[in-house]
Amino acid sequence: MSDTARGGMLEPHAWGGLSFQERMATAEFRIHHTPHIVVDGRVCADCSTRECVVACPAALFVPTAEGGIVFNHEQCFECGTCYLVCNREGAITWSYPEGGHGVVFRRT
Amino acid sequence: MSSPIIIACLKWVAHPGEPHDERFAGASPADRAALELALQQAKELGGTVTAVTVGPPATETVLRDAVAAGADRAVRVDGPAAMLSSDVAAGIAGVAEGAAWVWCGDYSLDRGTGSVPAFLAAALGAQQALGVIDVQFAAPGPAARVTRRLDGGRREVLDVTGPAVVSVEGAVADLRRAGLGALRVATSASIDVVPLRSPARRLKAVVQPYRPRAMALAAPDGSPLERLRLLTDAAAATAARGETVTLAPPDAAARIVAALRGWGYLDS
Amino acid sequence: MTDVDVIVVGGGPAGSCAAITAARAGLDVVLIERGPFPGSKNMYGGVVYPRILDGLIPNWWEEAPVQRWVTRRSTMLLTPTQALTVDFRSQAWGAPPYNGATAYRPDWDHWLAGHAEAAGAQLITSTVVTGLLRAPSGAVTGVRTDRPDGDLTAKVVIACDGVNSFLAKEAGLYEHTDAKHFTLGVKETLALPKEVIDERFAVRDNHGVDIEILGGTGGVNGGGFLYTNLETLAIGVVLKLTKLGAQKARPEEIIAGLKRHPAIAPLVQDGELKEYSAHVIPEAGLTMMPKMIADGLLVAGDAAALCLAAGIWLEGVNFAMASGMYAGEAAAEAVRAGDLTAVGLAGYQRRLSDTFVLKDHRRLKRAPELVLSDRVQHLYPQMIANVAERMFRVDNPDPKPGLRRILAQERKRAGVRRRDLARDGWIGFRSFG
Ligand SMILES: Cc1cc2nc3c(=O)[nH]c(=O)nc-3n(C[C@H](O)[C@H](O)[C@H](O)COP(=O)(O)OP(=O)(O)OC[C@H]3O[C@@H](n4cnc5c(N)ncnc54)[C@H](O)[C@@H]3O)c2cc1C
Ligand code: SF4
Ligand code: SF4
Repeated sequence: MSDTARGGMLEPHAWGGLSFQERMATAEFRIHHTPHIVVDGRVCADCSTRECVVACPAALFVPTAEGGIVFNHEQCFECGTCYLVCNREGAITWSYPEGGHGVVFRRT
Repeated sequence: MSSPIIIACLKWVAHPGEPHDERFAGASPADRAALELALQQAKELGGTVTAVTVGPPATETVLRDAVAAGADRAVRVDGPAAMLSSDVAAGIAGVAEGAAWVWCGDYSLDRGTGSVPAFLAAALGAQQALGVIDVQFAAPGPAARVTRRLDGGRREVLDVTGPAVVSVEGAVADLRRAGLGALRVATSASIDVVPLRSPARRLKAVVQPYRPRAMALAAPDGSPLERLRLLTDAAAATAARGETVTLAPPDAAARIVAALRGWGYLDS
Repeated sequence: MTDVDVIVVGGGPAGSCAAITAARAGLDVVLIERGPFPGSKNMYGGVVYPRILDGLIPNWWEEAPVQRWVTRRSTMLLTPTQALTVDFRSQAWGAPPYNGATAYRPDWDHWLAGHAEAAGAQLITSTVVTGLLRAPSGAVTGVRTDRPDGDLTAKVVIACDGVNSFLAKEAGLYEHTDAKHFTLGVKETLALPKEVIDERFAVRDNHGVDIEILGGTGGVNGGGFLYTNLETLAIGVVLKLTKLGAQKARPEEIIAGLKRHPAIAPLVQDGELKEYSAHVIPEAGLTMMPKMIADGLLVAGDAAALCLAAGIWLEGVNFAMASGMYAGEAAAEAVRAGDLTAVGLAGYQRRLSDTFVLKDHRRLKRAPELVLSDRVQHLYPQMIANVAERMFRVDNPDPKPGLRRILAQERKRAGVRRRDLARDGWIGFRSFG
C-alpha cells in the first residue's frame, strides 16, 4: 500500500517534513560507550536476506557499498527485532546496555 | 592528625527536557565527576569523603547515590530549591570547614552559573582552580596538578595544594558504578541534615533562556563539504561587506541591528 | 541462608505485582529493574484493563496515572480505499469500576512499583540481571547483576523480564525461539490540543477512544491501533516479524501509510510527533508458551509469553499483572512451606489455570494464527468491505441485489475458497464465539 515504495526502499527518509534523524531525536537515549549489540560484518558479508536492515525500527543496520553492514548501537530501542529476524549464527551478539543507560521512554 | 576530609558537592538538578518530573532529576555529569575524584583522592590520602547537597528533602537522592558509590558521610544542608549561589556556598562552607579539599562540578545541567565554587573558596579562604579538565594526583599530601581550559584553546597547568576548591568538567572522570550491596544499604543510609547558618535570601524571579535538552543526534545529511559551504558561504558572506564607522554607542547598536536585519538574520 | 527471600527481575507490571503480593505476605523482596526508573524501558499500544487490581489496590482508579477512560471502542477494517467500522460506546465504562484506560507506561509502571515499595519490597534500578545463580542440582538460587559485587541469592527468583526473557531461556524453559511467534510494534505519540482530540473523536472530559485496526499495514501482516490520551494520540502498527523483510517495507513507512489512509488522516492531522518508540510482542499465545516453573524459579508476564494478542484484543498488561500477582503468592506459599522445588511452587500453575490467564489463552489458542493468516489479512477485508459497499450502494435503475448473491459474488471475486471460509469461520467462531 505504501505509495512511496522506491527501488530497494532500504534507506529511511522523511515523512511529513520530518527526517528520520528528527524522528529518532524524539526519544531519549542515555548512551553508554560500550556497544550492547555487536554485529560481525564478516558473517553478514554473504547474507542475502538482510532482514535486519528493513526490520530494525531505528534503522541502525546500514549496508555498505562493499556489501558489508555498519551497525551503530547508540539509538537502539533494545527491542530484540534484529536478533529475532537474523537467522545467521554469530552475526549478532545481543545484550542490554549497562543498567541505567540506553533508551528512556516518557510518553509511551 | 585525624584523617583528611574530602568534600564532594552535589546538586540535584531537574532534567532540562522534563523540568517537572523528578524521575528524570539527579546529579549533573560534572558533579558526578567531582564525586569520583573525591573518592579517588580519599583513597590516595587515606581520608574520608563527605557528600554535601543544599536543598529540600527530595534532593537526598543524589546523596544516596553518593553513599552507594562509596561516600562515607552524606549531609544535606536544608534549604529551598532555588537559592543564590553565594548562599549555597555559605551553606556548604558550614560543612566544609576544615576539609582538606572540596570537589565541585563546574556547571550544572540546569543552566547553572558555575559560581558556587568561587564563592565557596572565598568563604573557606581556600585556593581555587575552576573549570578543570584534567587532574593528576601528586602524592604525598593533598596536592594535585590540574589543567584548566582557557579561552582560545589554551591551557593552564596549576599545582594546587589543599585546602582547595576545585571544580571539574564532566568529562574528567566517570563516576564508578556502585556495588549491589552498597546500593542496597544506601537506600536506607542515614543522612545528616543541618540547617543553613544564615537564612537564605529570597531568590527573585530568575530569567532562564529556553534551552532544549541536550541529546545525541545522528550526523547531519549531506557531505561535510556541502555542509561547510552552507554554514560559511553564500548569502551571509556575500551580503556581509565590511564597513568601518565611528558612532556613539546607541547609534552603533542601531546600525548593527539594521545591518543584521538587512542580512536576514533577524527575520523570524 | 540467602540474602533475601524473593528476587523479582523486571519492574514492569508483572514484576511489580509479584513484588507486591510477595512482600505483603511478609517476605523480604528485592525488585530489580534495568532502567533508571520502572517503566522507562517499556512501551505498548496504550490501553490497560486494570480490574485485576480491584483486590490488590482497592479503588485503584482514584490514584492510578490514567490519561483517559475508554468509553468508546471501535474496530476498523481497512482496504486502501475503504473503511468499515464497528463502533461501540458505553457510558458505564466512564464510571467506577471502569473498564479500560489509556495510560503511559513510564507512568503506570512507576506507579505500580511505588506500591511494591510501599508493601516493603526494595526497588533497585539501573541494574541489569545478567544471569541466574544455580545450585549443583540446577535449582535457581539467585541472580547475577551487572554491578560490582553483583550477586544476590534468594529462595525464589521470579523472572518478569519481558518478551526477550533471557532468564527463562537460560533456565531452558523455552524449547526454542522462532521469529514467527513475534510481532514488532512501532508507535508514534502525537501531540494535539485536548479540545481537538475531544472533537475529532466525539468524546468529552476524560473519556477516550480505543480503535483497533485490521488492514492498513501495507503488504505486511499485522494490525494497527489508534488511542486517545489526554493531549496526545497513540498511533501504531503491529507487524509480523517474518513478513517485514520479505515485503521490504520499513516500520515507520507503514505507520506513515496508515496515517495517510483517508479514514485515519483526518483524525491524526497536524499531530506533532512527540515520541517514536518500538517494542516486540510475544504474539503466539499458547503455541509459544514456555514452562513457567522450575526449581527456585517462576516466570510471569511477557517473559512467559502470556500476552494475549488476538486481533481485536491486544491485552498484555492485565495478563502480566495477574500472572505476577499469582507468582508472588505462590512464591510466598513455597517459602512458608519450605519447599522451593517446582513441586512446592506448583501453586502458580494452579492459579494460572483456574483464572482468565490461561482460560482466555486456551479459548483463543488458534486466534493469533488465524488473525495473522494471509486470508484474514489480505482477502477477507477486501471481500467484507466490498460486500458492505454493495449493500449501501444505490445502483438505480438496477434493483437492490440480495445479500446472499452479493456474498457469493464477492467471495469469488476475492478469490476465497468456500472451504477455507467455512473453516476459518469455524475457528473464529470457536475462538471468539
Ligand atoms: C506495540 C505494543 C502494543 C501493546 N498494546 C497493549 C495494550 O494496548 N494493552 C495491553 O494490555 N498490552 C499491550 N501490549 C502488551 C504489553 O505491553 C505487555 O504484555 C506487558 O508490558 C507485559 O508486562 P511484563 O511486566 O511482563 O513485561 P514488560 O512490561 O516488558 O516489563 C519487563 C521489565 O523488565 C525489565 N527487564 C528486562 N530484562 C531485565 C533484566 N535482565 N534485568 C533487569 N530488568 C530487566 C524491563 O526493563 C522492564 O521494565 C502491547 C505491546 C506492544 C509491544
Ligand atoms: S545481521 Fe543477520 S540479517 Fe542482518 S545482514 Fe547480518 S546476517 Fe543478515
Ligand atoms: S534491538 Fe531493535 S532497535 Fe536495537 S538494533 Fe535491534 S532491531 Fe534495532
